Amino acid sequence: MTETRYYDIRCVQGEATLIDIDNGVIESAGTSYFDRTVVRALGPKGWGILTRDHVDIDSRREVDALVEAATRLAVVTHDQIDLADAPRALLPVPPLAEDPREIDLEEKTRLLAGIESVARIPEVANTRARYTEGIDSVRFLDSGGNEFSYEAVRSGFSVLAIASRNGVMQMGSERDHITTGFNLRGKQDLGQKAGEVAVSLLDAKLAKGGAMRAVLDPELAGVFTHEAVGHASEGDLVREGASVLAGKIGEQIGRSGLVIVDDPSLHEFGFIPVDAEGVAVRRTEIIRDGILTSFLHNRETLAAVGDGVPGHARAEHGAPPIVRMSNTFIENGDATYDEIMAECRDGILLIGSRGGQVDPGRGVFQFNAEYGYLIEGGEATGMVRDVSLSGEILSTLHDITLIGDDRRMSPGYCGKGGQTVPVSDGAPHLLLDGAMIGGRGE
Amino acid sequence: MNREGLIEKVLQEGERRADEVEAFCIRGRSVSAGIKKGILGTAEESESWSMTIRTIKDGRIGFSSTGDPDRWMECLDAALASGRIATAQEWGGLPVPDTAMFSAPSADLDLAVDIGNAAGMVEDLLAGAAEHPVDIIGGGVDLGRSHRELANTNGVAYSMERTIAAASLEAIREQSTGYEFDASPFLADIDPRAVGEAAASLAYRSLGGDRVDTGRYDVILSPIAAASLIGNILIPALSGRNVKAGRSFLADKLGDQVFDETLRVYDDPHSPGRGSTAWDGDGVPTENLVFVDQGVLERFAYDLRTGYRYGEESTGSAVREGAGEPGIGVHNLVIDGLRRSDMGYGRAISVHSVVGAHTANPFSGDFSVEISNPFWIEDGEATRPLRTAMLAGNVFEMLREIEGFGMDDRRIGRLTLPSIRLNNQQIIGK
Repeated sequence: MTETRYYDIRCVQGEATLIDIDNGVIESAGTSYFDRTVVRALGPKGWGILTRDHVDIDSRREVDALVEAATRLAVVTHDQIDLADAPRALLPVPPLAEDPREIDLEEKTRLLAGIESVARIPEVANTRARYTEGIDSVRFLDSGGNEFSYEAVRSGFSVLAIASRNGVMQMGSERDHITTGFNLRGKQDLGQKAGEVAVSLLDAKLAKGGAMRAVLDPELAGVFTHEAVGHASEGDLVREGASVLAGKIGEQIGRSGLVIVDDPSLHEFGFIPVDAEGVAVRRTEIIRDGILTSFLHNRETLAAVGDGVPGHARAEHGAPPIVRMSNTFIENGDATYDEIMAECRDGILLIGSRGGQVDPGRGVFQFNAEYGYLIEGGEATGMVRDVSLSGEILSTLHDITLIGDDRRMSPGYCGKGGQTVPVSDGAPHLLLDGAMIGGRGE
Repeated sequence: MNREGLIEKVLQEGERRADEVEAFCIRGRSVSAGIKKGILGTAEESESWSMTIRTIKDGRIGFSSTGDPDRWMECLDAALASGRIATAQEWGGLPVPDTAMFSAPSADLDLAVDIGNAAGMVEDLLAGAAEHPVDIIGGGVDLGRSHRELANTNGVAYSMERTIAAASLEAIREQSTGYEFDASPFLADIDPRAVGEAAASLAYRSLGGDRVDTGRYDVILSPIAAASLIGNILIPALSGRNVKAGRSFLADKLGDQVFDETLRVYDDPHSPGRGSTAWDGDGVPTENLVFVDQGVLERFAYDLRTGYRYGEESTGSAVREGAGEPGIGVHNLVIDGLRRSDMGYGRAISVHSVVGAHTANPFSGDFSVEISNPFWIEDGEATRPLRTAMLAGNVFEMLREIEGFGMDDRRIGRLTLPSIRLNNQQIIGK
């Protein structure tokens, strides 16, 4: 029999509740159930990984058989993988201000309908709101005798409004997700905001593309942090040679004073009490005073690459752990919003995010704002729409000329390797010099 | 728990408590061999099973799913509970069995879901990539087979198999990356060596690159670049639900000349492809659907519930992704138009793929994305690579002003399409 150098088992049993309201019609409102287990075994060389439904991980016989099968699978691998030692600890999960399980589906539906209906203001042609709730029971054990279990509760919603006038359609969208309780009460203002943004955008102009000074609001600056720095600092990409940040530890890659952090221990949407390999999580400073300081690692990439902090392995249920961000942000600087706008003088103010993407090997990223305003003489003037921003990882952090003092975190989901995990991103307002703005205005 | 006979049990019990019940089961097994550091680093094998239940009572549709056959009763209870909350709608019944159904080639009987085979294909990927001086930064091979069963209380009891063979490779040379992939139900369609060679060649040939000034240029979108823009914008606009909800740019344009007069867009579920199927996610027989003919918008896609609600016929367009509720989608969407063999005439910029297509505005069609692996094309030949730039435009306008389609049809997920030439497009240089 082939040697098993290490194994771990991660089992997630869960319930997912989804409510979907479309133009006042309750399209669906219900709960589904899953129970997925991933068994990983390290053979003489690389990983053998099995995924199964409802495994009884208390059955020694079942576990042994799965570990043996995973080890057999690993026989075809050639890459020599080793695991670094890492500290173990389980953080307490945040207390729930209100447990969503104690609220019935009717009440959740009624509250969501309240948020959806206020988005329906004149000229709004369609409104849609979705509530998502996930209750995950996670159990982890490994061949070193480590064993953890915890429960993760997530609750949140998104609301979308589409305004329409003479064949022109524009959207406004808001979302809020938390890990600290039930999240549908007192949120009508977000529905209203989605409606108002959609209608305002009917009169917005197309942004003109080119290099200019740009002010990023905290939400978009958070996505900037995630796309421009976060992914490229992930240890697996560094190990594979797929990141422009490889070999740059200790180098000045951004302006002095810039601090960029990933912190899975914060009680934001990307919180995890322990990582998916049973490793303790802690605040990791990726960039300190403009200098690249740490990569984000799991045990495997820490052993292979070094220069960083483990505890960043995460997994969607039924998928193997990979290196991921959690709560990623730029620390506050000392500029006020008014100072940033005044310093910008003429440029563009970008607000909210429609998502982004990065090619970390090429070092190029792109993301899209929900809307923006032209800045003229330090004042926000005409509204613009469909404006994106692209840049290069190795130069863009030097172009941050002012860092605000008003950091805010925004929840979202991040996709990598076919897996989606909850994250949050944030930053204070930022002023970027020579930002590459994409837009189709002439 | 024995899964045999489970569907019958669910239908029997459900029929006592609802007007109609439907159960859908997917059982699947897949293997994948993943590349790390340019060699095989992970071997995965996955087995999965899920059941989704829909109940209909007084026009209220309930839904739930489970991955545990022992919890089928809980799942049925949850479906019924969700139906009590859903808004009641017009409902004309789940489908009855169709006796004259087409067959659809969706599975490769010879495809063996075996890690040894996947590992062998990885060797071919790497051998192909070795033809160029690059490093490998990722990729792998997936082989999978799934069995789908759909049954309802009106006597429908269909089953089918799907297979998938997929290979991908990502290569890098300095700061130049190249990604290529291919996927098909049929193993013989996949040439891992060619995929590896193509990815490595892209990374190698894109090295360096000229600066491009902001301005208007003729652009040739590869099938990959075209598919990501069309997939994010055109396909949602053809959904009958989006049309009736006021979320589609195409909503009031049925019968209008909306696109280039040679453009034809149709769904061909009975031809071999990733989405081939004889029956849709509701159990409605699928058919060939022409959405756009000679640039004229001919129809929209409907599933059963949207059809009943708005007095439209289902077009057999319900699609299921895993254990989710069925929604309106496409099976094998084909984009076609006037082909020209001289796509690269004069001077143009070719775009292999784009970064950030999902950030486009799906309602207005506006987008501005980063372009990947762009080249200057001069009289049909790729001459110099270009440095990074952005492409801004509007998908609905682009499809009105197509200069021509290439001869290079390619499968990209559920889409089949050639490259597309668009003249006078907006490029933002750096």
